[in-house]
Amino acid sequence: MTDFLQQIVNGLTIGSLYALIAVGYTVVYGIVQLINFAHGEVFMIGAFGALATWTVLFKGQTGLWVLPVMVLGAVLVSVLTAVVMERIAYRPLRGAPRLAPLITAIGISVFLQEAVRLFYPGAKSKLVFPEIDVVTGTALSIGGLSIQRAAVFTVGALVLSAALLWYFVNRTRLGQGMQAVSQDPDTAQLMGINVNRIIVIAFAVGAALAALAGVAQGLLNSNIDFRMGFLAGLKAFTAAVLGGIGNIQGAVVGGLTLGIAESMATQFIPGQFGGSAWKDVWAFVLLILVLVFRPQGLLGARVVDRA
Amino acid sequence: MSTSTTDLTHGHDDDAVKVPLLERIPGRGSAAAWPLGLAGVLILVGGTFLSWSYTSDVLGDLSVDFYPNGVQICMIALGVAALLFLLAHRGPLHRFGEWLDTAAAVRVLGLGAVAYMVITLGIIAYQSGGLVNINPGGWISLLGALLLAASGLMLVSRQHRDPLFAKTSSWLEISTIVVLMALVLFGAAYALDIGDGGSFLLFLLFVSAVALALTRAGAFTWVGLIAQKNRPVLMLGAFAVAFLFPFTQGGSDENMSIATQVLIFAATALGLNIVVGLAGLLDLGYIAFLGAGAYVGAVLSASAFATIDWKPPFIVVVLVGALFSAMLGLIIGSPTLRVSGDYLAIVTLAFGEIFRFTMGNLDGSNGPDITNGPNGIPAIPDLAIGSFDFGQPHTIAGITLGRFANYYFLLLLIAAIIILVFTRLNNSRIGRGWVAIREDEKAAEAMGVNVFGLKLFAFAGGAFLAGMAGTVKAHHDVSVTPDQYIFLESAFLLAAIVLGGMGTVAGVIVGATILKLLPEKLRFIADYRLLIFGLVLVLMMRFRPEGLIASHRRKLEFHEDDEELAQRIEAVHLEETEVKA
Amino acid sequence: MAQRSVMTVGASLLVASLALAGCGTRGENEDTGSTTGGDAKVAKIGVIAPLSGDLSALGKGIQHSVELAVKQANESKAIEGWTLEVEAVDDEGKADVGKNGATKLASDDEVVGVVGNLNSSVSQQTQPVFAAANITQISPANTGPSLTRGADGNARPYKTFFRTCTTDIAQGGFAAKFLIEQGIKTVATIHDKKTYGQGLVQYFTEAYKAAGGTVVAAETINPDESNYAPVVSKVAPSKPGAVYYGGEYPQAGPLSKQMKAGGLNVPLMGGDGIFDPKYIELAGSTSNGDLATSVGEPTENSDAGKKFLADYEAAKYAEPAAAYGGYSYDAANAIIEALKVSLKDADDAKSARQATVDAVGKVSFDGVTGKVSFDEFGDTLVKVITGYKVEGGKWVSVKSENVS
Repeated sequence: MTDFLQQIVNGLTIGSLYALIAVGYTVVYGIVQLINFAHGEVFMIGAFGALATWTVLFKGQTGLWVLPVMVLGAVLVSVLTAVVMERIAYRPLRGAPRLAPLITAIGISVFLQEAVRLFYPGAKSKLVFPEIDVVTGTALSIGGLSIQRAAVFTVGALVLSAALLWYFVNRTRLGQGMQAVSQDPDTAQLMGINVNRIIVIAFAVGAALAALAGVAQGLLNSNIDFRMGFLAGLKAFTAAVLGGIGNIQGAVVGGLTLGIAESMATQFIPGQFGGSAWKDVWAFVLLILVLVFRPQGLLGARVVDRA
Repeated sequence: MSTSTTDLTHGHDDDAVKVPLLERIPGRGSAAAWPLGLAGVLILVGGTFLSWSYTSDVLGDLSVDFYPNGVQICMIALGVAALLFLLAHRGPLHRFGEWLDTAAAVRVLGLGAVAYMVITLGIIAYQSGGLVNINPGGWISLLGALLLAASGLMLVSRQHRDPLFAKTSSWLEISTIVVLMALVLFGAAYALDIGDGGSFLLFLLFVSAVALALTRAGAFTWVGLIAQKNRPVLMLGAFAVAFLFPFTQGGSDENMSIATQVLIFAATALGLNIVVGLAGLLDLGYIAFLGAGAYVGAVLSASAFATIDWKPPFIVVVLVGALFSAMLGLIIGSPTLRVSGDYLAIVTLAFGEIFRFTMGNLDGSNGPDITNGPNGIPAIPDLAIGSFDFGQPHTIAGITLGRFANYYFLLLLIAAIIILVFTRLNNSRIGRGWVAIREDEKAAEAMGVNVFGLKLFAFAGGAFLAGMAGTVKAHHDVSVTPDQYIFLESAFLLAAIVLGGMGTVAGVIVGATILKLLPEKLRFIADYRLLIFGLVLVLMMRFRPEGLIASHRRKLEFHEDDEELAQRIEAVHLEETEVKA
Repeated sequence: MAQRSVMTVGASLLVASLALAGCGTRGENEDTGSTTGGDAKVAKIGVIAPLSGDLSALGKGIQHSVELAVKQANESKAIEGWTLEVEAVDDEGKADVGKNGATKLASDDEVVGVVGNLNSSVSQQTQPVFAAANITQISPANTGPSLTRGADGNARPYKTFFRTCTTDIAQGGFAAKFLIEQGIKTVATIHDKKTYGQGLVQYFTEAYKAAGGTVVAAETINPDESNYAPVVSKVAPSKPGAVYYGGEYPQAGPLSKQMKAGGLNVPLMGGDGIFDPKYIELAGSTSNGDLATSVGEPTENSDAGKKFLADYEAAKYAEPAAAYGGYSYDAANAIIEALKVSLKDADDAKSARQATVDAVGKVSFDGVTGKVSFDEFGDTLVKVITGYKVEGGKWVSVKSENVS
């Protein structure tokens, strides 16, 4: 039983990371029907932004008060990357055949990884992420369960940002504009909504959450590297599809489900095909199964198929 | 409006009437342009006979007077090309000039020559530490290049007729094809022989300048047309060139090793081109199908590490590998091809990763012992078909052909099969069905196209061809390990297609060659290779999404609102039909 | 008349140009003579390693160590009448590229021996290329037993392949004994599903069980990920006395840290892949007590090791010697020792290739990592292995032993 609960805790932690990243895929896909394949790299850049902020401003300090500044640094770098990416690479391709933006996305993804590897000092190997008081350190022990402090931070970050996002989408004019564009961009434009601006905001929102995930991952694993975006991005996309692409609640549910499924696969699939060696395989098999039996995802896709 | 006219008189023409930059060049259309060009060519070529560099270890050796080396000979050739165009513009070759935009060609060649000289002198100055090391010859050639470029910018294009409608005799056409093919063979052999990255880069620049000049002049429109007209000759010629290539290598394995890899890569990319280029299905895990074939080839080989005791003849292995691959294609395709295209991209990506993980896991401890896990299956013996041992060198007509040359011929055969399948399918009912699906799936379905069946066929067919190539790759590589089949390799395959031109054979071959050859020859950019690769993908999609060598259909797809292009393509099409009839 | 004069001018130009061409020299570089002294013949030692990409730090270390050995040999005129040169090619850590590089070296008639590759998967493809050309290949880093011992462990597949590092068998065996001696009788194994890690864990497990220990859990991680919490949680309930990790420090460091943060407060042990200062940096303050094995005497204990590091420092290479510097230096010197024999009566480098292979099998000298000599499989005979422990943020040697 402890094993089971322990793996639930692990799954929720990783799942929260997936969910934070998955929101970015889902928001952008919901509005422009574009798989922003480079979103994983935005997440990676967020983590490096946080590290850079710490290195430049607070090197050697571990107080909790530096964390908000690090998060801010991460968000700034990520949002900037995402907005620039949208402006110079994706916007000119709007209306082009759908292959074009996908291939562009792959190009950007490779480019960003390499740029970080080559130009961030020391990024050719893993970099140590700073330890911050309260959110890192010895695990909390509750009734036989060991809970990493950074895990609390990660889940907390997800809950908080999900609440804020809900408020933003449903209660603000911008958010409602976003919904309008996602339902019918042409009509929305006729109604006076600046579609380009909404798209930029969608990219920015996704990037901000990815940056938060980047910081969380750094704290959780105590190290970051330039390759961390690829697999995380792929898993997060799986999570977005799992929950129903275009559906923000779906991304959260999908992320948590995928995280828990992975931990469970590590612990409970018996025999030769179990264990951590196969957990990624099972995660992707889950994706394929969902697409076969419930292509609209767990909570239903919110995308009008305009293809 | 009145303000804009006054503005014009003051020279502020930016927002009123857009005058192309070219038109504003001083001295444009002046009579001095043509003699200036001739003088430029003479000075340019004259400079190549003098020493360019003080030190003798830069770019081969440029320090000897009256003894031009490769880098300088390229410059001479460029000068001669410019001379021919100048003479066609006005002078003895006037008759040819009627058909070609000679001024544009001279312009491109002139600017190319300047770029070439600047880079050359830059390399000399950088490698031997300062501009002092440039000898007068270099400066003279640069001056010549500048004059030529100036002349090109000043020359005004004459009214010329569309080369599309030039009526030429068939012997001229065929001999043009033969000469072009011979040039390709010679150029490839020469390029591969260049040792240092700088010289290779310059040779590339030279080739692109000449190719661009010919394109701008309109010569390639005509070449394209005669290629259409004489298709069998062209195909035969292309294969003759590919077949003769190993004989130019004098038994050396160094370049043949690269050439075989280019062929494996190109053959796989051609298979992917059926899936992506024809049917429009984005497959991001295609390398897994090559891997599946390779693993079948390895497991059924006589390697001591092979885990299955059945050792069938190689032709059976090829079939098993291809069928196994196709089966995987069916398994992965049948559930996912029903969903929209973007999902397919991600599912195939996931499949590629599943394949790699699985191959790493089937080692006896995490699964049944089939693939030997991360160690892979090494020591795969060379192929032997009948008494022909692929591992041993053979001598044909006094020229030794080594191990890689043997595999090269086999791979050439496989590539030929794939090209045949590709072209036959493309021009068949199936191919038209694919195009219909690619353009508009719903409309195609409404017109009675079996969308799902055709998609599945493309997917499984592509996998079949990749599996076939994979079985040969296993023997060629000697060992098969999971880390050869990572996502980046799939991205490279896709890039070969995007770079070369979706849906064309020639384009994919060009793309594959560029992607495999350039990193080998340009070692000095090694660390920036992937950075450049990513950037090129983005730029290609932005500025030339149809690829370097585009199929007409594709070109139109990416430039929907270009009316002129549409009309021109229609004209070409009519001309082609006329020719065929 | 006009034509005539053109002919005259042309002819005189031609004569002049020929005369001038005669004065110029092409190809022969004059200043090479001064360093080599007269008409020394050239033999090349190739280096094939990842010189670009994410493994380039290790590859550059290999390259420079070989360069150092060759420079010293040339300075001391180790081989009369011959100049040695280094020809380094990049394999990018990829099998395909490695094979191209190997083919390139093999077609260079002056190459007699090669140091490389770093990755076993690349070596698998370069071995046959060098074997076909009779070129000695000495790997400083390949630890997979099958490279020298074939599929069933007793047939040497390629006569030209040697290595200066020990195999996983020796290191795994020593690690097992070392752990038992520390009083740790239960262990969980984790590896990264790569050739090196899996091999190490396999041979460790065999030896550990034979020595009376129990393996309570066997898991793997995906080296592309950096969150190992599910694996740690799965291993923790089996209460192992230590975790034996097969893999390299970029994963091992974070794993150690996450183990301890996840409540599994036992030492992590690994092979030479984790024996690196960067491991301690990544694993943080909780890494005290973690263990590692590495081949050879501790470098600071041997004079040869100290001298190598000092010389390397003095040569001012752009990159540090890294993990395989010592092995590479020894590998290059093994080739040089062999060349002393094989080049003595050779007319050109190519004809000395077979003799070099034979001679390398017989070399015996004191190198940086201990005595350098090879057994009948091409494996190194020195099997001195040292156990290390992290104490106060540093690797401290605990004991050395010859396990042969």
